[in-house]
Amino acid sequence: MTVLIKAGGMLTDYLKPDVDAFTRRVEGPDGATLRQLLESIGVPPGHVAMAFANGGLVTLGYTPRDGDVITLRPPVQGG
Amino acid sequence: MVKGFGGSTLRIDLSTGTVARAPLDPAFARAWLGGRGFVAKVIYDEVPRGADPLGPENRLVVTPGVLSGHFAPSGSKCCFGAVSPLSNGHGDSTVGGHFGPELKFAGYDLIVFTGIAPSPVYLFIDDDRVELRDASRYWGQGTMDAEKMFKEDLGEDFEIACIGPAGENLVTFACIGHDYGRQAGRCGIGAVMGSKRLKAIAVRGTRALAVHDLPALKKSTMEIIKRTAQHPNMAPWQKYGTAMFVGWSNEHGVYPTHNFQTTYFERFAGIDGQPLVDRLLVSNKACFGCWMNCGKYSKVLLPGREAVYVEGPEYETGSLCGGNCGFDQIEQVAYVNWLCDRAGIDTMTGGGMASFAMECYEKGLISREQLEGHEMRWGSIEDFEHWVDMLVHRRGIGDAFARGYAAAAAAIGGGAERLTCQVKGQGMSGYDGRGAPAMLLSYMTADIGAHHNRAWTITMDEDLGKNVIRGKAKVVVYLQHIRPFFDTVSCCRLFWGEVDVTAEEHIDALRMMTGWDDYTLDEAMRLSDRLWNLNRAHFLERNGGPGRRFDYPNARFYEEAVPSGPSEGARLTMDDLDVMLDEYYVARGWGKDGNPSREVLLDLGLDACVANLERAGLLGGLMEPLPPVRGERYKPKAF
Repeated sequence: MTVLIKAGGMLTDYLKPDVDAFTRRVEGPDGATLRQLLESIGVPPGHVAMAFANGGLVTLGYTPRDGDVITLRPPVQGG
Repeated sequence: MVKGFGGSTLRIDLSTGTVARAPLDPAFARAWLGGRGFVAKVIYDEVPRGADPLGPENRLVVTPGVLSGHFAPSGSKCCFGAVSPLSNGHGDSTVGGHFGPELKFAGYDLIVFTGIAPSPVYLFIDDDRVELRDASRYWGQGTMDAEKMFKEDLGEDFEIACIGPAGENLVTFACIGHDYGRQAGRCGIGAVMGSKRLKAIAVRGTRALAVHDLPALKKSTMEIIKRTAQHPNMAPWQKYGTAMFVGWSNEHGVYPTHNFQTTYFERFAGIDGQPLVDRLLVSNKACFGCWMNCGKYSKVLLPGREAVYVEGPEYETGSLCGGNCGFDQIEQVAYVNWLCDRAGIDTMTGGGMASFAMECYEKGLISREQLEGHEMRWGSIEDFEHWVDMLVHRRGIGDAFARGYAAAAAAIGGGAERLTCQVKGQGMSGYDGRGAPAMLLSYMTADIGAHHNRAWTITMDEDLGKNVIRGKAKVVVYLQHIRPFFDTVSCCRLFWGEVDVTAEEHIDALRMMTGWDDYTLDEAMRLSDRLWNLNRAHFLERNGGPGRRFDYPNARFYEEAVPSGPSEGARLTMDDLDVMLDEYYVARGWGKDGNPSREVLLDLGLDACVANLERAGLLGGLMEPLPPVRGERYKPKAF
């Protein structure tokens, strides 16, 4: 399964984007949860406040499908 | 005149009704920039040390900063400041919306009020026309109702900042309302405004602001707009605002619950961001010049009550007026939000104070008789509403709560002091520091008391270890310099924090506006350092010393372990707090007593503070050599 993961702010430092400034292409085993996928590439799940799959809100227990665009939002930094 | 600024200042003596206008001094503008910078300098220089914060000698300072009103990353803010009735030290609070820009368009960078009006007045500003007018017709009205009346009377194009009954009746944590639901909330500046019998400021400005290099500013801002529109945080931020962090904060064991008794609220799902969006949201709402529009305008329907409209709830309200008071439905939180906004109460200290009253009632420290036959139960709208009424109208025990945590604890007795979750009289923000020690250090050392916006550290606490005490103080110092910078120049911090508009880009905008080509981020950070030390000196000169004795929270935070949730068992000791404070004072160049040293004050050009502190015997001695740069930027592990 290959997905695109997008993140900004402090999460960018963990994500290490390779497609554009915010996006990294990630390959993972079918059936892996989003949490497992993030752990496998060094993004701490605890720093993810919200996650979206193709624009819809999901939990870290979501099982990504091939071609998904996953967006991660870090916790509020400025408020 | 310095480009980028409005160009004029106003001095208004409310006792005599006189208005004096003067041009803005370019040297003063460069040195202090505006916003909290102007506030700190004015009140340090002018408010006598023994003056009552609610007396005629205190100053109410109103000041948009240099970026406010410009086509730049959200230059929307206006700062209100005074000696705070909560801390008896420097107080400032900023509000977004449109008031600051309008004041700049009328030509004003600074308004300083002194004295007390013989009867209620409001300040009317229509470009050059500046008048004090009778406000008896508006006195007693809630903030949103008063704003509506002013707009009906003066015109929709006037921007209004006003107080509600809480400010009029000197509730020490009263706020100033603007734009039907935005507030300069913290530090009790609304009470200072009420003490001066100043109901409102109404302003209309029609002038354009002069800009040194307008083509460059337009080009730069358009590039920022295009870039941030594609930023992955932008769409979620627009949809959910801050409310979604109730769930995150809860899962991380830092969510204040039942007056900070624990840090996990089991029924949080009903008050998270999703139910807000699903059940309350009418529309998004933006401040001046902002393309993020993260404000949430909500319609609230509670059974048996008329529909009300409120902006929010934001995260801080969703925590301190949410699980902290035992409310588990978003409609309840939004209704309580509206009650506080209407009365003109800061929902943060107000929510914290209400939860304090609830725990006192739970523990039998206050009685039904003291509550005029009512109760103060967790999650009861009826009880909360009645308590607010007692508070605002200063009846019975409500008067003690209105005077602040220390006065309330003294009136209640029975060890109520340990239940007052505050530092320097300011109620804690919506994060419990036992699961995030650097956050607690941030509260302990913030210049205005326990407020999160000076330094927010929770992800750093997680990275370095939630139980780790050492090695975090330098980062707190760095954050205390970079984050208040945005309050000094009066723009929204969210563009920096959420969508990666850098501090350097804000400095670029400052240069393009003013023509100060040699202005650097280092100069801005040095100003932040200067302000921090100035405010510390001011606090000590007014309250005595040593400073260290004011830097501790209530006993709950160093004696009680978190009893449940993800942070279960987390416990800090007094020794832990002392280790953090020692590291912090070293990082700042202060003495072990928490007093600024001669060396750091002279380095920052604060010679007057040296003389004043020396006279009072409050100069600190350096613990280690003065660090050339105070504070250290934190880099996540990924670096």
